[in-house]
Amino acid sequence: MASVVTLPFQLTAPPAEWSKPSATGKISGKSLPIFSTFFQMTLTCSLCCVTAPVKRTLYAAGPSYISAARRQLLNRTFEQDDEATHEHRQAQAEKAQAEKGEELYPGLGEEVEDPALLKMDAKEWKKQDHYAVLGLGDFRYTATEDQIRVAHRRKVLRHHPDKKASGSTGTNDDSFFKCIQKAFETLLNPETRRQFDSVDRAIEDFVPNAKTVKPEEYCDVYGPIFAREARFSKKQPVPSFGAMDATKQEVEAFYDFWYNFDSWRSFEALDKEVNEGSDSRDEKRYMEKKNKAERARLKKEDNTRLREMVDMVLASDPRIKRFRAEEKAARDAKKGAAAGGKGKPLTLAQKKAEEAKKAEEAKKAAEEAKAKEAEEKVSREAAKKARDAAKKNLKKWKKASCSFFRGPSAVTNVVSESNYFQPEGQTPSASTVEKQLTELDTLFELLEVDESREMKDVVEKAGKGDVARDAIKAKASIAAGRGGQFEEFV
Amino acid sequence: MILPETALSSRPAVLGINFGQSYASIAVIGKEGHASCIANEDGERQIACAISYNGEEVYIGNGAKPQLVKNGNNTIIGFRNLLGHTYDEVDHTAVFGAPLIPSSKTPAYTVDVLVMPPAPSAPSTRAGSTAPPAPSAPSTRAGSTAPSGAATPAPREPEATKKTISVPEVTTLFLSTLFQSASDFLGVSPSGTVISCPAWFSAEQREALKTAAAKAGIPVLQILEETAAVLVGYRVGLTKERQELALLGQPEEGHKGEREDRDKTVVVVDLGETSLNVAVCKTGEGEYVKLAQGRELNLGGKSFDDLLCQHFAKEFTKKTKVALTIPCTESSSQADKRAEAKLRLAVEHTKRSLSASSGAATCAVESLKDGMDLSGSINRMRFDGLAASVYRKVADKAKAVIAEAGLDICQIDEVLLAGASTLFPGLAAHLSLVFPPTTPVTSALDPSEVIAIGCALQALHLSQLPAELKVEDVLRLAESPVDTTAAPIGIVVPGQSNDDLLNAVVVPSGLALPVRRRVEIPVAQGTEKVAFEVWEGKDEVKVDVLDKAEKTADDEDDEYSDEEDEPEEVRTPITKKTTLLAGLELALTDKSAKSVLFEVMVQKGGKVDLRLWQSGKESEAAVASI
Repeated sequence: MASVVTLPFQLTAPPAEWSKPSATGKISGKSLPIFSTFFQMTLTCSLCCVTAPVKRTLYAAGPSYISAARRQLLNRTFEQDDEATHEHRQAQAEKAQAEKGEELYPGLGEEVEDPALLKMDAKEWKKQDHYAVLGLGDFRYTATEDQIRVAHRRKVLRHHPDKKASGSTGTNDDSFFKCIQKAFETLLNPETRRQFDSVDRAIEDFVPNAKTVKPEEYCDVYGPIFAREARFSKKQPVPSFGAMDATKQEVEAFYDFWYNFDSWRSFEALDKEVNEGSDSRDEKRYMEKKNKAERARLKKEDNTRLREMVDMVLASDPRIKRFRAEEKAARDAKKGAAAGGKGKPLTLAQKKAEEAKKAEEAKKAAEEAKAKEAEEKVSREAAKKARDAAKKNLKKWKKASCSFFRGPSAVTNVVSESNYFQPEGQTPSASTVEKQLTELDTLFELLEVDESREMKDVVEKAGKGDVARDAIKAKASIAAGRGGQFEEFV
Repeated sequence: MILPETALSSRPAVLGINFGQSYASIAVIGKEGHASCIANEDGERQIACAISYNGEEVYIGNGAKPQLVKNGNNTIIGFRNLLGHTYDEVDHTAVFGAPLIPSSKTPAYTVDVLVMPPAPSAPSTRAGSTAPPAPSAPSTRAGSTAPSGAATPAPREPEATKKTISVPEVTTLFLSTLFQSASDFLGVSPSGTVISCPAWFSAEQREALKTAAAKAGIPVLQILEETAAVLVGYRVGLTKERQELALLGQPEEGHKGEREDRDKTVVVVDLGETSLNVAVCKTGEGEYVKLAQGRELNLGGKSFDDLLCQHFAKEFTKKTKVALTIPCTESSSQADKRAEAKLRLAVEHTKRSLSASSGAATCAVESLKDGMDLSGSINRMRFDGLAASVYRKVADKAKAVIAEAGLDICQIDEVLLAGASTLFPGLAAHLSLVFPPTTPVTSALDPSEVIAIGCALQALHLSQLPAELKVEDVLRLAESPVDTTAAPIGIVVPGQSNDDLLNAVVVPSGLALPVRRRVEIPVAQGTEKVAFEVWEGKDEVKVDVLDKAEKTADDEDDEYSDEEDEPEEVRTPITKKTTLLAGLELALTDKSAKSVLFEVMVQKGGKVDLRLWQSGKESEAAVASI
C-alpha cells in the first residue's frame, strides 16, 4: 500500500501572471473525453528528461525489499501488487478469524452484577450460588470447564481488589472477589462441583401431578422434567422422553432406564458443621455419624421421590394407553377376522361401528387399567401399612426391651435349659431347635411390650418344664391371632 | 503449558544470530511476534566467541574467556574474521590465545587435549608400545569417547595429544552451540536462520560462513550484513510500525523524535569489540540503499579496554612500585602477559559498570603481578576524559564516510547505534554534539542486541514469503547494484516559492527503482483551480553565517567571548530546482475537497509517471509519463 504524506503547505489558486510552462514535449494525457469537458486537466511536459538513474547497492533486507522483489519477480505493477496484497491480507484476516472463531464465549461473565450479589459476605460462601457469582446462572450444571475458566478470568479482571483500589470508588472491599475465588474453586473441582450441583436450589424440582396433565401436553410437560432429572444420571446419554408418536420400544426403553436409574446425587453439601471452636473429637465423630445418616436418608428419599415420579408418569402416560388399546384392537381384529369370514370387505357403516367399538374398548381398557392400578395401589398401601406397623412394633419393643430387661434371651435360655421341652434324655433334633427359636422370635415380634414382659416373668419364674411351655403357648395363641404361625408352641 | 496449534503456527520458529568477532548474540520471535534477544543456558546474552580446550573439557562461550589467563595456548578467540581466508592472507601473530599453525590452506589451530585411547582392540595400549593416536583433525569429540556396550575395558588413562582444528571447524562448533541454545529455548529446532556478517566480508567469506553454519545443521536463509540488520531491527522507514514500537530516538530539537519520516538518510555506527563500521544509507519506505561505508580496524571495545588497562596499570605501578607495561608485545615477559590477561578480564567488568551506572566503577585483581593486588576505581568523567580520543576517532570516521557519500552532516536524518561499545553514554553525547540538534542519535534498542533482533526479524520476513516466491530468487535481485534515482523530484508552487528552491521533495535521490511516492496537498478553501510545476532538483547545503555583531548585541557584557570570535555557521539542507519536468493544473469540481493527491512514479528505465487527482476521485486522474 502506498503511504501518503501530507505536505506542510496549502495550495491556492495560481497567481494571475503564472502560466503553464510551454508544452513542447510529448504529452500523453489520458483523460476520458467525458471528463475532459468538465475538468480542465492539462499535463504539460518539457523536453528535458530526468537524470539517468545511478547504480547503487541495495540491502536485501526488510519487508519493503521483499515487496519490491515480489513485484519484480511476479511482474506486477504497483497497482496490481496493491490489489494482490490487499486480497492476500483480507484472506489472511478471514482465515485468522475463522481459525480463532469469534471471541470465546462473548459476553460471558461480563454482565453487570446484581447489587445484592456484590454485597455478599465471603464468609457465607457455603450459601452462595456459585454459578450466579461467576455469571454462569444461565448455564448451571451444563457449564463446561472452559466456560468456568473464561467467566472466572473476566470476573477477576473486573473485580480484583487492585483494580478496585485504583478505581473510582477507591474502596478496598475484596469480599466479592473472595466470593468469586470460592465459586471458582468449588466449580473447578469435580467432586465439590458434584456436591453443589446435587443440591442446586436454583433449579426447580416441581413435578406436576400426572392426572391433571392433558394427554396432548403430556410429552411437552414431562420431557423437560425428565431432561432435568437426567443430569443426575451416572450413565450418559439418557434416553429422551420422546414425542407422542414414539414407538412402544422407545417408550419401554425409556421407562426401563428410569426404573434402573443410577444417580450420582449426594447430599454432602447439606452437612451440618461441628460448632466452631470445638475441637472435641467425640463431638466431631458424633456429627460425622449424624451427617452420614442424614445423607443416607436424603439419598433414599431422593431415590423414592424419583421412583414415585416415574410411577406416576408411567401410570398416566397416554402412549402406554395407546399401546394397550392398539394391542387389544389387534387382538380383537384377529378374533373378528376369525369369526367373520376372511377377506370380506367391511362396509363403511361396519367400519365406523367397529372403530367406535374399538374406541370404546380402548376407553374401557384404560379405565379398567386405571381402576386396577388404583386397586393395586390400595392393596400396596395396605401391605405397606402392615409392614410399617410390624416394623414400628419391633422397634418399640426392642427399645422397651433394651431398657427394661435383657430381651428375649431370658426366655430363650429357659427354653434351652428345658431341653427344648423334649422328653428327658432325648436330644432335640436340630430342626426342632431351630423352629422353636424362630417361633420365639416371631412371638416377640408380634407381642405387645407388656405381654412379652408378662410372659417372660412367668417363664422365668417357672424355670423350666411344662409351666414355661404353657405360658409360651398361651402367648403364641394370642400372637397366632395377629398373623403368626406356630407349630411347636400350639 | 502446551500452546494451541494456531498459536504455534502464527509464531514461526526462526532464529537470528549476530555472529561478531568477539561476541555473538541470538534472537528469536516471541509470542507476540516481537523479536527479542535471548540468553543462552548460562544466562548470557552476549556470548563470547571463544573456545577453550582444557584436558578433556571443552569450554565454549563466556566460560572459555577466563581460560585465557592460564590456558591461553589452548584457547581460540577471534576466529570469525579468518573465515574464508588462507593462512597467508591473515595476520598470524597472536599475543593471547592459541596460535595459528601454517596449515596447507585454511588457517587452523593446534591445541593440547586429553583423549581416551581409541579402542581396546590393541591389548597393549597400556604398555605404550603402540603409537599415540594420530592427530588427524578429529572434527567431533564424540569420536574420541569410548564405545559403550563393549566388554568393560581395564581403566584407561586419557592420553595427552595434539588436536588440530581449522577455522571453519571452530566456527561450526561454536555456531552449533548457539543453535542448540535457541532450540532449547524455543522447544523446537528453528526452521530458518539469518546470520549476520560484517559489511566488508567478501563473497568467499560469506560462502565460508554459510558452509560452516550448514555443517552445524543450521538452516541458513541468508547471510545478512550487520548494517542491514540494524536497519531492519529498527524498522527504519516503516513509519507506522516504528512509531508504534517506540523505537524513535530523542533529538534535542525538531519533530524526528515523534514521527518517522518516509525517506531518510541514516548513518549506522557499529562499534564492536574490535572494529568500527560506519555506513550511510538511504532508506526509502523501508528499502535500504547503501550510499557509502567505511571500516576502522582496531577501534572498538578493545580500545576502551586498552585505555582502562593502561590506566589501571599505571595506578598499579604507582601504588606498588611493580613495573607493568601494557599493552604487551610478543617479546613481553610471561608475567606481564599473564597480568594483562587478568587485567583485561577485570576491566571488562569495569567497562560494563561504567556504561550501566553513573557512579564510580571499580576494578580489582588479586595478585596481578608479583603477588601484588590491584584495587582501583574510575568514574565516568575520568573515563570520558581518557576515551575522548576514541570518541573523536569514531566521529571523524563517521564524518569521513558521510563525506564519501557526497553528503553533508546536516543532511543526515538519524544516527543509529549498534554494537555493545556504543553503550557508553559519553560516546552518544559526543556524537550528538557532532550532528545537528535535530538529528537523533538513537539507541532505543539495546545496541548490543539490535543486530541479532534485526536478523531474527529478517528470518521472520523470509519465512513468511508468499508460496510463489523462493528465498534464493528474492535475495538474488540485490546481488548486483540496482538503479536508483539520481536527483530529487519535487514540486514548485507558483507564488509560494522563494529563490530557486523546491517547495517540497516528493521523490528524494538515491531510492531504488521502481519507486512510487504519493503526497497529499491541502487546498485552501474556495479554491477553484490549483496548479504547480514539477521540477528535478539538486540537494545542497545552505550555509548561513551568523553575524558576530548580532551575537555581541545579545550578550554585551560577555567578556569571555574570545573563543566565539569566529562566526558561527548554520547549515541547513536545501533542494535547488534544476530542470523543469512538467506543469500541472487541476480544476476543482468538488468545492468541499480539502486536498489533492499527487503521485510520482519513477520506473526502472527512468520513465516518470505523474498523476494528480482530487481526494476521493482517483478514477478521474490523468496519467502522464516523461
